[in-house]
Amino acid sequence: MIHTVIADDEVLARQKLRQLLRNEPEIDVVGEGATASETIDLVRATKPQLLFLDIQMPGMDGFDIATELCSSNLTPKPHIIFTTAHDQYALRAFEIHAMDYLLKPFTQERLSSAVDRARKEILLSSQQPAGNGAPGQSGSHYTTRIVFKSRGRIVFLPVSDIRWISAEENYVRICTQNETHLLRETMARLEEKLDPDMFLRVHRSSIVNLQHVKEVRTEADGEYAVVLVNGEKLTMSRGYRSRINGWLTHS
Amino acid sequence: MLHPVVFVGAFTLLGLLFALQEWVSLHSWNSHITITFRLLIAAWCVHYFLLGTICWVLWRLFGHHVQKATLFHMATRILPLSLAVSVFEEMIWVAIFPGRPIGLPHMSYWQRLAFHLDSDIVDSLVIFWAVFFLLRGIGYYQLYRETVLAAVQLETQFANAQLRALRMQLNPHFLFNTMNSISSLMQTDIAAADKMLEQLSSLLRITLERGDVQLIPLSDEMEFIEMYLAMQDRRFTGRVRQEVSVEPDLYDALVPAMILQPVIENAYTHGLSKLEKDGLIAIDVRRNNETLAISVINSGLGLHPQNSNGAGRHGVGLTNVKDRLHLHYGNSQAFTIEELANGKVRVVLSLPLQFSERPTRQLTGYGV
Repeated sequence: MIHTVIADDEVLARQKLRQLLRNEPEIDVVGEGATASETIDLVRATKPQLLFLDIQMPGMDGFDIATELCSSNLTPKPHIIFTTAHDQYALRAFEIHAMDYLLKPFTQERLSSAVDRARKEILLSSQQPAGNGAPGQSGSHYTTRIVFKSRGRIVFLPVSDIRWISAEENYVRICTQNETHLLRETMARLEEKLDPDMFLRVHRSSIVNLQHVKEVRTEADGEYAVVLVNGEKLTMSRGYRSRINGWLTHS
Repeated sequence: MLHPVVFVGAFTLLGLLFALQEWVSLHSWNSHITITFRLLIAAWCVHYFLLGTICWVLWRLFGHHVQKATLFHMATRILPLSLAVSVFEEMIWVAIFPGRPIGLPHMSYWQRLAFHLDSDIVDSLVIFWAVFFLLRGIGYYQLYRETVLAAVQLETQFANAQLRALRMQLNPHFLFNTMNSISSLMQTDIAAADKMLEQLSSLLRITLERGDVQLIPLSDEMEFIEMYLAMQDRRFTGRVRQEVSVEPDLYDALVPAMILQPVIENAYTHGLSKLEKDGLIAIDVRRNNETLAISVINSGLGLHPQNSNGAGRHGVGLTNVKDRLHLHYGNSQAFTIEELANGKVRVVLSLPLQFSERPTRQLTGYGV
């Protein structure tokens, strides 16, 4: 079970979160804090792995609490999911390695995706006994997740969730399993952020996540196409073919 | 405003011209008098330089009176002042050039002053008053310019206020409809109500974040529209097929914020809601030369002739869209609504293609 603490100064907000968390497997709410000091004491006493943290609370704000908990010699440090009505702190939350950033009101579905990610992360850190539990300690300089705003929501997207990326003039479209997001970004900049062992440019205007590639097929007209596990097909230009051949023979 | 160098320079130039005139006159009629051209120029230039400098200093000190002076003030204050200035200037000048007047026997200072005042006082007075009225004229012109500018600003402010008011009318209309849907869903499907509330919050968040900005990139407007379509899709559960197509190079084109939502809402209320199945809404944004054309086609029952009672035919929503387009683009925009075959209705918004000078910085971050 994952020990979880909820911190929010509003009782109805805590109540909603508690109810939604009942539907999440492996989550065990061990306490609730209504103020900053209460939350810090509670976390020290119960040593939870997961902390749902409101940002605006009486006394200190959510970031102060996070800093306080990080600076103390507490182990394991809880993974933090911020829950707030304000979207302007998202980048700050991302930078202090928060797991996710839920904008109130959120749905069960949105909460589930956050909890799933936390569950994976907690499992991973428990398998690495040397790790102190804080995420983001890998040595690679490639980005492992991206933060952006899409359709009025804050998305902390792990790059492993990306299936493919396509260029649309000054924008890129990032496709995941269920959604697509339009970002004002260039392909070149994005390509340079992504781990080349994981992502491959197959066309001037597309990048594909190799984990989702099923096969490379020659089409009737002599063109090549990359077929994804879910059946989606991306055209591939000749110039990029040698790259994927290299990858295919590697694996 | 007038630069002192220009002001005094113009005076000195005037002096130079007088010097030239006297030189020509001496050569033609009084050739027995010998005077160097250089001394002549110096005398006249200094004369007018002094006059110019005094006028400039007076203007700097009492410039605000130039505008306000009534006829009475002119007679009682400025006329004596003009006399005093002329005499004062002449006194300095006579002191500087003891060699003048030329070709006459030696005279005392006061005699020379009297001699020169006799010949110059009218010139000096004329120049003084000419400057006075010139400055008064410039003052009036500036006042006129300021009035015109203020009127233009007022007009812009008024148009902006109107635009704000029009935008405000769009939100509550749609807000209350959605709240009603949520209220209805709460009785039957809690999860769906929850989902809709989240979507509504996202929409409101985007709207509030934009604040008073009137023109936004098409990508932002389309993001909003996609969210709105998702909400409508939930209400119409599979009865309506949605198609959206946007030319990617138009994402940065500027459009009035929330210009499309009323058009789409109208398509749903007056067209799609009347169909039991197989509804279609197609939004297409493309470029026609220098025009951005946004077309919305919806299936339905066409434009009902029995419903057409003038302006209220399409409700307040479309009227607002028209008014806003007009306020933003004047006559370089077009709004058309027409019936196609099979009860389909097409609305087309054509606006001048504009791109924002600097792309909006969206929140994006990379990290581990």
